[in-house]
Amino acid sequence: MSIVMSALQYLGYILIFPGFLFCFLAGLLLCGIDRKLVAKMQKRVGPPILQPFYDFFKLCGKETIIPAAASSKTVFLMAPLVGLASLVVLQLFIPVFNFTAFSGMADIIVILYLLLIPALANILGGAASGSPYAGVGLSREMVTIIACELPLVLVLLSVGKAVGSATGEGLTFSFSSIMAYQAAHGSLILKASMIPAAVAMLMVIPGETGSHPFDAAEAETEICEGLLAEYSGPPLGIFKLSHAIKMLTMTSLFVALFLGGIGGGIESLVALAGLSGAAAGGVSVLLEAIVLFLLCVVLTVVCISFVHAVTARLKIEQIFKFYWTVASGLALISLVLAWYGL
Amino acid sequence: MMTSLYQHFPIFSIMVLFLGAFLIVLFGNVKPLRHAIALLAVTASLGFLIALVKPVMLNGEIIAYWMGARAPAGGYAIGIALEVDALSLFFGLLIATAVFVSCVYSIQYMRFDDNVGQYYTLFLMLAGGVMGLVLSGDLFNMFIMVEILTFAAVALTAFRNTAKGALEAAFKYLVVGCMGSTCILTGTIMLYAQAHTLNFAQLSAFIPGHMNTATVVAFALLYIGFSTKAFIVPFHPLAADAHGAAPASISVLISGVLTKSGIYGIIRLSYFLFQTMNLGTMQFILVFMGSVSMFVCVTMALAQHDFKRLLAFHSISQIGYVLTAVGLCTAMGVSSGLYHAMNHTLFKGLLFLAAGAVLQQTGTTDLGKLGGLSKKMPWTTALFLVGAFSISGIPPFNGFASKWMVYQSIYYKAVESGNIGFVFVTIIALVTSVLTLASFVKVSQSVFFGRLPKEYENVTEVPWGMRLAMSLFAILCVLTGLFPNVVTTYLTQPAANAVFNVANYINAMLGSGYAESVMGAAAPAAQAVTYVEVGLWQPVSWLLLLIIALLAVTIVAIAGKYDSVSESAAPADSKYDLFFGGEESVYSQVGGEDLFWGFKHNWRGYFNFMHELHSGIVNDYALWAVVALALVTLYMLIVF
Repeated sequence: MSIVMSALQYLGYILIFPGFLFCFLAGLLLCGIDRKLVAKMQKRVGPPILQPFYDFFKLCGKETIIPAAASSKTVFLMAPLVGLASLVVLQLFIPVFNFTAFSGMADIIVILYLLLIPALANILGGAASGSPYAGVGLSREMVTIIACELPLVLVLLSVGKAVGSATGEGLTFSFSSIMAYQAAHGSLILKASMIPAAVAMLMVIPGETGSHPFDAAEAETEICEGLLAEYSGPPLGIFKLSHAIKMLTMTSLFVALFLGGIGGGIESLVALAGLSGAAAGGVSVLLEAIVLFLLCVVLTVVCISFVHAVTARLKIEQIFKFYWTVASGLALISLVLAWYGL
Repeated sequence: MMTSLYQHFPIFSIMVLFLGAFLIVLFGNVKPLRHAIALLAVTASLGFLIALVKPVMLNGEIIAYWMGARAPAGGYAIGIALEVDALSLFFGLLIATAVFVSCVYSIQYMRFDDNVGQYYTLFLMLAGGVMGLVLSGDLFNMFIMVEILTFAAVALTAFRNTAKGALEAAFKYLVVGCMGSTCILTGTIMLYAQAHTLNFAQLSAFIPGHMNTATVVAFALLYIGFSTKAFIVPFHPLAADAHGAAPASISVLISGVLTKSGIYGIIRLSYFLFQTMNLGTMQFILVFMGSVSMFVCVTMALAQHDFKRLLAFHSISQIGYVLTAVGLCTAMGVSSGLYHAMNHTLFKGLLFLAAGAVLQQTGTTDLGKLGGLSKKMPWTTALFLVGAFSISGIPPFNGFASKWMVYQSIYYKAVESGNIGFVFVTIIALVTSVLTLASFVKVSQSVFFGRLPKEYENVTEVPWGMRLAMSLFAILCVLTGLFPNVVTTYLTQPAANAVFNVANYINAMLGSGYAESVMGAAAPAAQAVTYVEVGLWQPVSWLLLLIIALLAVTIVAIAGKYDSVSESAAPADSKYDLFFGGEESVYSQVGGEDLFWGFKHNWRGYFNFMHELHSGIVNDYALWAVVALALVTLYMLIVF
């Protein structure tokens, strides 16, 4: 009985929260809010907030055309599915404050590499289409990945060191100790030495999600969305969905790394309301999910929508330079400070 | 001591290879016979070593074998000895596996070549040479084996001597390889003059208490000698040329086996003979050389436009990881380094075989000329992708499992020692990994995906024998990635354990108590090798989750008619043409050398410098070898 129950519980994690259903709703909603806000900032009316949902379902009803020049039909069709599945699995490992669907299975360094899989699926799918636009898009996407990797590595190492030296372990990469530390000592962003790293991470978010001004890889106006040039119908819809979910993933990763201290407050709030046992657990997870989503919205507005509205697209070599100098420099400051125990 | 039958297995596993080589000289003209002999020899060699896993790896025995039962007399070990501890066996198993798969592949890969009998003779000589090297118990026999393998490798590099650059590559390899061998010989002689013995065990007991200028110089010579065998910087240009020219099955041996023998030599040298690895100065030189190799070679690979040369540079880059991890001198470092060495043999072998398949079917490995081959060679593409994901450290393949341990051990070492330098090594290692991914994305796009050029319309898939060989490597890549605990428990930890228990190694050869009696208080105490992993990674559970998620997505997708795609029926239907902004569709392939110019543009100073440095002239490379020798000697003389 209990085995069935826990199997159902895990299936629920995968399918509902924080898995598919949550990712689907929250990701597309983030995307809708982003589009609406950018339009408002640019004095346009903009699409309705639910527009990404309409787009997705519309695309699912369209015809899937496989170009005659496509070198591998299997890769072309499988890439969107693998990308989506791996992204959702990744989301399962990112803690929602004190709740983690699957803890102890992957640490922050592993997350760094799991993040490569959706990007790689995108790249291989585009490459398999045979389009030269995809070829150019692939080159730029890969360079953007390399560009973001260095600051991200530095951010993760400095967080690992800062938490590790504070807890006396010397070093930790595990999400649960990072969350436990933040629950006990307040969010990491309140630590002066971690602020540069947090800023660097904020800079990485638009790069990883491929939004303005770091969207050279998609660049609708010059290379016709690059990797997606030949995609149509449901596969395109799924790629768009993955793109939306990636906004959720990156922002919730930021919340987990730097704003994790809020979870304790939520739990004491629930306790104040007089709930206990399973009910309290359920309510606090629900509340945490809502708070997480609201924080993700704020982060999306700050580092995706706002930046999108005021900047023009950078060239690929400028993107690279920006990340390897400005963002990496900031993260390096944090790493050195954390190293010397500040 | 009772001699069990398995005590003879090490010499058997060397002997069958050489015996096979000689038999092929005699009967090599008969085609089925020569394949049978070669396959039998490599299978037997692998079998003998697998039979040793239980006593050596699991029971922790060390096999000391005196040829002709000439045990030491008068306190001096004069006879020829084999000594097999877990470290030797670990490398032996790697070698035997790579040789076996390469031999399976060769049967169909070499079928269009002339003089295949000579090929197999040299092939088995090379295999026997490396096997002898890692199982040998004395320094002079190690040198003999180095000579055998170097000459076999040189001859095999030039085996397709009508190909462009083959003789040149072989000549370069010969010159610098001989400098390396000479260094090893000179070092051996100097040690013999000091210690009056060449037996590893006896040397290990003698040298640590008698360090003087002569032994230090000998150390530097031996270190450089083995570095040339591992092709670490500054000897990397040779590897690129040799791999570019050699048949793919030989590239597997050069990268998977020969470089390992160099790493093995360096470990034996620094952990056993001189026992200097506890010194920070010694750790510095290994970690420094490793990091430089890691980074320089990955950037060199990004600039390549030939499939096999690109793989060659990546090979050295991965060896850089191994050297760095081994140089940390922590239990976890050695264990992860050996794990990565093993994985390197597997995935790099797979990639070279895939390159060989492409070369055989299309006649070229130029990234600028190929494209879209996945349409014609789906198997090779799938197997190549397994190798590419493994080397780029994409979970859950084996490259990730070992690299991830390497990162942890370097960063942990940084925290432990408080030395911020190791943090930068960690960063280099992490960034190298993503640069590796970039260059394999380039290969995927330029060779397997993208557009198929007109002249390769009639390319076919490779025969089943070659696919079988590649599949063997691919299966091993997946398995060793999914079950890292099995690998560390049964293979790398026993080997790491051997590395940190030198006294056992000495005593197994010369009788218990010998180490303590010669070295006195300086005798290294036995220590149990344990470490705690800082990170968390459960590949099997992750894969399970991914499969469930993928199933869910696929079911929904298929229910939504995802697979009812529309494909071109008539060849000239413009609906299925690629999008060209309304212009007429033309053949255009984005790929080749300059795919990541956005990255290279920012580093143009560095790339131009590297381009000028790698002149391709053997005189320059020989000069580098001399300079490296001088610098290492100087460094060692200063620090000791």
